[in-house]
Amino acid sequence: MYRRYHLRTDSAPDVATLPSPFRVRVSKPGLAGFLLKEFVQYRGNRTIMLNRPCMYGVFSGPVGGFAPREHLCVGCLRCTTQYPEFVRILPNPARSFLGDSYFTPDRVDAVCYEARSGKIPVKGAGYRGPFGGDGWDGLWTDMSEIVRPTRDGIHGREFISTVIDIGAKPSRLTFADGKPSCEQPQLFSIPIPVLFDAPPASLLAETVVKTFTAAAEATETLIVLPLESLAKLAVRGRHIVPLITRARLGALHALDFEPAMLELDEWDQQLFAQVQAQFPRSVICLRLELPSTDAILQAAGAGVRVFHLLANYHGRGSDGRFATDLFREAHKALVAQRCRDEVTILGGGGIIAAEHVPKAIICGCDGVSLDTPLLVALQAEFAGEAVSRNTGSFKLPSRFTVGWGVMRITNLIASWRDQLLEVMGAMGLREVRRMRGELGRAMFQTDLEKEAFSDIAGYVS
Amino acid sequence: MSAKPESIEQIIAHKHIECLHRGFHVWPALEYGKPPAMGDSRWTADLILSTWMQAETGQPPSNGLEYRTGQSGGGFDVLDLKFLPREHWLADNAVIDLSIPLNRRGYDREIRIPVPFYGAGMSYGSISENVMLARAMAARKWDTFTCTGEGGYPASLVSYKDHVITQIATGMFGVREETIQYAPIIEFKYAQGAKPGLGGHLLGDKATTTVAQMRESVPWVSLFSPFPFHSVYSVEDHKKHIDWVKTINPAALVSVKVSTPTDIDMVTVGSYYAGAHIVQIDGSYGGTGAAPEIAKKNIAMPTELAIPRVHRYLVAEGIRDELVVMASGGIRTAHDLAKVIALGADGAILGTAELVALGCTRCSNCERGRGCPFGLTTTDPELQRLVEPEWGATRLSNLYQSFQSELRAILRRLGLQNIRDLRGRKDLLLYRGNVKAS
Repeated sequence: MYRRYHLRTDSAPDVATLPSPFRVRVSKPGLAGFLLKEFVQYRGNRTIMLNRPCMYGVFSGPVGGFAPREHLCVGCLRCTTQYPEFVRILPNPARSFLGDSYFTPDRVDAVCYEARSGKIPVKGAGYRGPFGGDGWDGLWTDMSEIVRPTRDGIHGREFISTVIDIGAKPSRLTFADGKPSCEQPQLFSIPIPVLFDAPPASLLAETVVKTFTAAAEATETLIVLPLESLAKLAVRGRHIVPLITRARLGALHALDFEPAMLELDEWDQQLFAQVQAQFPRSVICLRLELPSTDAILQAAGAGVRVFHLLANYHGRGSDGRFATDLFREAHKALVAQRCRDEVTILGGGGIIAAEHVPKAIICGCDGVSLDTPLLVALQAEFAGEAVSRNTGSFKLPSRFTVGWGVMRITNLIASWRDQLLEVMGAMGLREVRRMRGELGRAMFQTDLEKEAFSDIAGYVS
Repeated sequence: MSAKPESIEQIIAHKHIECLHRGFHVWPALEYGKPPAMGDSRWTADLILSTWMQAETGQPPSNGLEYRTGQSGGGFDVLDLKFLPREHWLADNAVIDLSIPLNRRGYDREIRIPVPFYGAGMSYGSISENVMLARAMAARKWDTFTCTGEGGYPASLVSYKDHVITQIATGMFGVREETIQYAPIIEFKYAQGAKPGLGGHLLGDKATTTVAQMRESVPWVSLFSPFPFHSVYSVEDHKKHIDWVKTINPAALVSVKVSTPTDIDMVTVGSYYAGAHIVQIDGSYGGTGAAPEIAKKNIAMPTELAIPRVHRYLVAEGIRDELVVMASGGIRTAHDLAKVIALGADGAILGTAELVALGCTRCSNCERGRGCPFGLTTTDPELQRLVEPEWGATRLSNLYQSFQSELRAILRRLGLQNIRDLRGRKDLLLYRGNVKAS
């Protein structure tokens, strides 16, 4: 029976206090002088005197402006506009320690909001950031205006599918005597185009792994975990994707469950055949660092049908190019080989905001894997720059339970899925599978600027 | 304050209004420097403060505030106007015509506005009635227009109806036969730049009893307008819409507000063939009372990139001179206005710039709770008092005055006597790329 995918969200408040975005500085002598002046002007009428400019309660503590409650400040600047002589609102420098140069404080705020509420961030006023930029920021998704291909909608009225298929997708079946004469393709579906990548080795502790695996199960997706950690941490289930390295191959024999997918850490045809033989009903995925076009084509030619392509935590490949370019390159290479529809590409690295999911899919991924956003959802602190899986260092909050973590990650995924629906609804797309590689429904800043500005003096691409 | 305050509430409002007005005066004068937490890449502290100053004085600032561009690192902010050498400038007393027609069809009524801009749709509920009134008063004074947005037509606006565009959006809130008949221009809002492909958002806190009454909805319940018009899935359907309003108000011009998809050129041509007089191209960096953050940055293209495409396509189709193209979505200054006209628009539509003139600090808290703490995007009776319509109208009028004088100065330096001659003149622009966003 058909079951509509739905994630139940619930409030999961922060356990670690995020630094307030603003600092409120009130000159005490200035405030005292002002109150004295108002006392005289309004003849001591407290109702008038104590009516404060802030509607968010910053000055509504027991001693008002003498001890402003700056955690409530939203930066509207009304107080400083009214009283420039003695009130100053300043950006809080403590926020610069949130995240790193890629996972900026604003991104951390957004993920934390999504993880604690499960809601879509909605704000007033227009866009406030740079015009465009590298990577994700240099790409806009399309929308459909008055001529729409479907009657898709959002807000629950009409259905948009976010299901993706992972595995081999042969372009045709062959039959003999009315029965399939080809091998049954190994294929399964997950209801969201998102899976969880393995946490950094330093965080492979029991609580973290149990949180990730339980969250993957709750959201009906997959979690990649190093093979050797599974037995040690006593986690099992079809949603767990063992990550196999040749060096730790021995642990494969101890695997006491049949996963939906296994992931090889490097391309080795013999290893591929060995694992496939041991787990004939599982999908075998090849994990490759980007760029890796040659390796993809070689492995695809040898029968690999699922690739997990990874940029670093900052979305860059080993050659410095951004994931958007690298995903497109891999996608187009497979298209050129006429086998794109037969394979699955899972992309990861640098996907830290909801909008990165549709953008990665448009660039050619079938689905994406998440890494640092899951840690940020759990309020992990970055210890310096977290660029790679091997060197990235994080510190999780001390007050941290599996239940809380599962709720946070579930909320995050629910929020991102809802935002994916917003983007797809705007595009008039009924299912996420149709979005894959739809570069015609994306607008790249470099292309648009060339078209709009190339005949303007001084233009350089 | 127009009258001496009497009640405690009035005294309190008076106290805050006095202080706010003083703040709007002293901050741009830089007596206290620039507010450290003010501004962003698109609307820098300089732009906000200079807009406050223009709204007070009617002139651009001369104290070093950068009033022409922001620091977004792209679009308008990497384009300059290529002025002639000083000896080729027009004389200071040269007559410069800034007027544009809003109907180029050769049939239906002629409407000409003396400045190449009018006010954007902002709905009752997303902004206060006082702000709507201020905008209508300024529009009347300048013989231009403001627009209702999709939240209905407050009775107080009726006396300004000759300068009020009635918007029909997908929620159809407050759309009645008489509000269509009031209007010299009817605007169909198919999409909004800040949330392309999504309907309007009015969160529950702002859907007060009066707002709900106007919108014929339930108080305190969030209102998400549908998307798209579920009666329009083709140009032919769109034409039926236009025929429908022309039946109700045959004298009205029809404007079509669309966002900026990849096929914006085709959408514009479709609107033309459906009978629209004006097409408003609302770029993705436009303002909003509430929108998902994901929609603001990521869906559809900025207006700077859409307008050249539309202009070129209309020229190629041979219909450019029959359709008025108005740009919106991020027009902050007179320089943006001149640039977007040089990129191919006939004129532009102002939204956020008007709110900034009235005191907006771009804090992005329009959608929540009681709404704007400056009394702009609010439905809270107490906060609404902070903007008196007459004061607001004067501020907007001063901003228009400044834009007018600045546009004339720009045209003089470009050697043009007519704003219409600037349209599509990309040769008068200069690209200075590789500017990093701040």
